[in-house]
Amino acid sequence: MIVIESLEKRYGEVIAVNGVSFGAEDGKVTGLLGPNGAGKTTTLRILSSLIKPDRGRALVDGIDVAERPHAALERLGILPDSRGLYPRLTAREHLAYFGALQGVSDAQLAQRIRELVSLLDMTDIIDRRVAGFSQGERTKVAIARALVHRPKNVVLDEATNGLDVMSTRAMRTLIRQLAAEGTCVLFSSHVMQEVSELCDHIVVFARGQVIAQGSPALLRQQASEDNLENAFVKIIGTDAGLK
Amino acid sequence: MIRLVFIKEFIDHLRDRRSVLGSFILPIMGPLILWGVFQLILDLQRDRELEVPVVGREHAPRLISYLEANGAHLLPAPTDPEGVVRRGEADMVLVIDPDYPARYSAGKSAKIQLIVDDSRHESHKNVRRVERILLSYSQSLAALRLIARGVSPEVAAPVELEEIDLATPEKLAANLLNMVPLFLMLAALVGGMNVAIDTTAGERERGSLEPLLLNPVRRMSLVLGKWLATVAASTLVALATLLGFMLTVHFLPLEELGMKMLFGPYQALVMFAAVWPLALFGSGLQMLIATFARSFKEAQTYLNLLNLLPMAPSMFLMLKPAQSQWWMLPLPTMAQVGTVVDVMRGEAVPGWHLAVIGLSSLVYTGVCLVCLVRLLGKERIIFGRG
Repeated sequence: MIVIESLEKRYGEVIAVNGVSFGAEDGKVTGLLGPNGAGKTTTLRILSSLIKPDRGRALVDGIDVAERPHAALERLGILPDSRGLYPRLTAREHLAYFGALQGVSDAQLAQRIRELVSLLDMTDIIDRRVAGFSQGERTKVAIARALVHRPKNVVLDEATNGLDVMSTRAMRTLIRQLAAEGTCVLFSSHVMQEVSELCDHIVVFARGQVIAQGSPALLRQQASEDNLENAFVKIIGTDAGLK
Repeated sequence: MIRLVFIKEFIDHLRDRRSVLGSFILPIMGPLILWGVFQLILDLQRDRELEVPVVGREHAPRLISYLEANGAHLLPAPTDPEGVVRRGEADMVLVIDPDYPARYSAGKSAKIQLIVDDSRHESHKNVRRVERILLSYSQSLAALRLIARGVSPEVAAPVELEEIDLATPEKLAANLLNMVPLFLMLAALVGGMNVAIDTTAGERERGSLEPLLLNPVRRMSLVLGKWLATVAASTLVALATLLGFMLTVHFLPLEELGMKMLFGPYQALVMFAAVWPLALFGSGLQMLIATFARSFKEAQTYLNLLNLLPMAPSMFLMLKPAQSQWWMLPLPTMAQVGTVVDVMRGEAVPGWHLAVIGLSSLVYTGVCLVCLVRLLGKERIIFGRG
């Protein structure tokens, strides 16, 4: 479970995040939707302990990220904005390295890698060096790397960016599966169809603030629009930055 | 965790064949250059056989026997005297004029020609030797003729010139000793350079730094693991260079030059003890600097400049050769040059010298690593990509 409480982060005059609060429950997919630059990524970076907020706090299973970052990181599986790999290591070596960094024991690690290989359909690439991988294959490795320690909370920042149709479908299946297993999934995107299709709960960002949140049905109701796309445009006030 | 990071980074480095081989090239050139230059000096030093082809030797039998008595090995006349010299087949050709006997008997100047090619440096020494023999033959004849006429030979020699050559090969060779610490230091720095860059600027450029920092691992553990991998690479290259110099010096016939250059296991050990601290500090400093760079190439530019630094103390000590002073000890690169040259000269290097070098470097290393940990907490480093 992830709870964000009145987060605030300024860069000089610019307020990147301005009093953001929301929650993401276990077993549900929570979507952060908003145009680029709305504050989604900054919020997720605060959640992942890499940025210190000026005010407010982020809690992971009740643990304050700023106070006990390592305890929080053990419970988080994060696919960040940048998902670089080591070209001279194989996919398996990536999982082994990050698993060990997360403190997973060798026996558990071998078992978990087998699971991830079948879950993400990585049989063909698991023992190849990453250097020649396609964008889709690279994303698979990056996701497997984030899931290697069986985190109870999964954070995906623009997970489907740059993926082809097949990979995007596979990613959606995975997200549903994680939620069905009881994982708390927090998912950011600027692609509206994706969010409306996947999410149980939607948090709409604009100009560093949460301007609406609720189930897709509730949001449609609030904006008194039948079509979710029109609802978003109405809520955000502009369609700039949305696809 | 430190061990885990170290193993990953070191394996990652070893798989980068090109950069591993590349890191050995520059340092290995040191022993090779030393070998080459010494062979050159030895060649210059060893007297070449003084071979002189002579045209018309029958005209001057006494001159011929004087030349032979002074160590010249006379060869039969070539068909094309000028061509032989031009093509470099002979250093020179001596041509005795057919008029020689007649003029000689008449007490006039008898003509001989020495055909040389002044542009050929390697023949200078032998040409000068033959010229000196011919001159001294001429002078002794002149002296005899003056005595026969009742005049003291000293009248005809108002000034007597004696040349004392100070350009001994030993001096040249001693200057070459400064090369040894220079290349050892380069090895210690260049050896780990690619690891230092790949584990810092490389992580930023690839975008793998952020995922790495999302693990519940202390930044210091990450930094120490990466630093140890850098140190391991630079130590291997420094050891290879040291071994290269040891073998080179072992097989060089230094006695032929009357040179003293000690380079046994004891000297190698002291040199390593002096140079290794630079590998520790240099690795930390290179990583720190490379972290500021957004890309591998940018980092390379910075570090190539940094690695010119060891040149400075070498130049300084070459211009102002002196024993190492105490104040040089806590100055990286200065300390290494002083200590390495001292130990090769056969001077004792006190243990506390090495201790000061080691401890001061450890302090600098610590500062670098602490700065590095701080830097890895900065947003502009974690997220600022190229």
